[in-house]
Amino acid sequence: MKLHLTTTHQDHRIALLAALAISIHIIESAFPSPLPGIKPGLANVITLFTFIMYGWRAALQVSLLRVIISSLVLGTFLSPTFLLSLSGALLSLCSLIFFQFLFHLLHMKPPSAIGYAVIAAISHMSGQFFIAWYFFIPHPGLFKLLPIFITFAVLLGIVSGIITQLIIKTIKSDTNQ
Amino acid sequence: MVSLAKVLTISKELLTPADILIIISAVFLSTWLYYFFWFDNNQQGKADTLLVQYAESLPQEYPLNQDQIINIQGHIGPSLIEIKQGKARFIHSSCRNQFCVFHSWLSVSGDTTACLPNRISISLKGTSSQYDAIAGRQ
Repeated sequence: MKLHLTTTHQDHRIALLAALAISIHIIESAFPSPLPGIKPGLANVITLFTFIMYGWRAALQVSLLRVIISSLVLGTFLSPTFLLSLSGALLSLCSLIFFQFLFHLLHMKPPSAIGYAVIAAISHMSGQFFIAWYFFIPHPGLFKLLPIFITFAVLLGIVSGIITQLIIKTIKSDTNQ
Repeated sequence: MVSLAKVLTISKELLTPADILIIISAVFLSTWLYYFFWFDNNQQGKADTLLVQYAESLPQEYPLNQDQIINIQGHIGPSLIEIKQGKARFIHSSCRNQFCVFHSWLSVSGDTTACLPNRISISLKGTSSQYDAIAGRQ
């Protein structure tokens, strides 16, 4: 008996985006970081792109696939690193959805990729930070590091937002031609 | 290659009011966090006990309201710890780098300093603080 699986166009798109995000995540993890916990978070660019172009359902699928598969490849599945990565990814996506809804309620023009990227970076960082504090290092002195982490999150968030904006602009102008 | 000027024009074209609102609040948030966790000592617990720990032994407790100088034998030699006016510091240590002495006064609950060569760490604990200063969750 031959198993036949019908896939939609959307499935292919998510697979492609997840593959991109996984490769970026793995390449990025090979580079040492100047401060533990601070990474450029370039894989987040793909999640953000998916969120803006195809909505939160697609973004959730892409980011869950990225977290699970890249942890399997890197050998950190179900380890503390995996837990940190998962909590960061989920919290950042939740706050993206929340802020999209909030700006919709306020009848404001939704933020561009840069605003979304800053939100995602801050919530990703604080999600990871609280999990790290609650489960692994429950010392009040850890909070002295939080301001530094948040500063880097804002700066790197703006950078990844600009990258996402450039990608979106390029893709939109390509499809218009 | 994407030039910086191009990035700037794109950012200027596409920044919505929501973006500016988000970036401004992000900057405010991080400034406030610096203030809150680094400079505002009132929100952190007042300390009333000094914990002195040598190697893996149980920490010894000293009250902070009694001015005294504690002489404790470490791994490579003696260390002198001073308690004065609710604060504590290393005043002498047998180590080479003297990082513990240069760390100066500990005054807020949760403040910690350690002399790694001598295997002595001191930290402040307050009864008002809801966390143990040293113990970790298993």
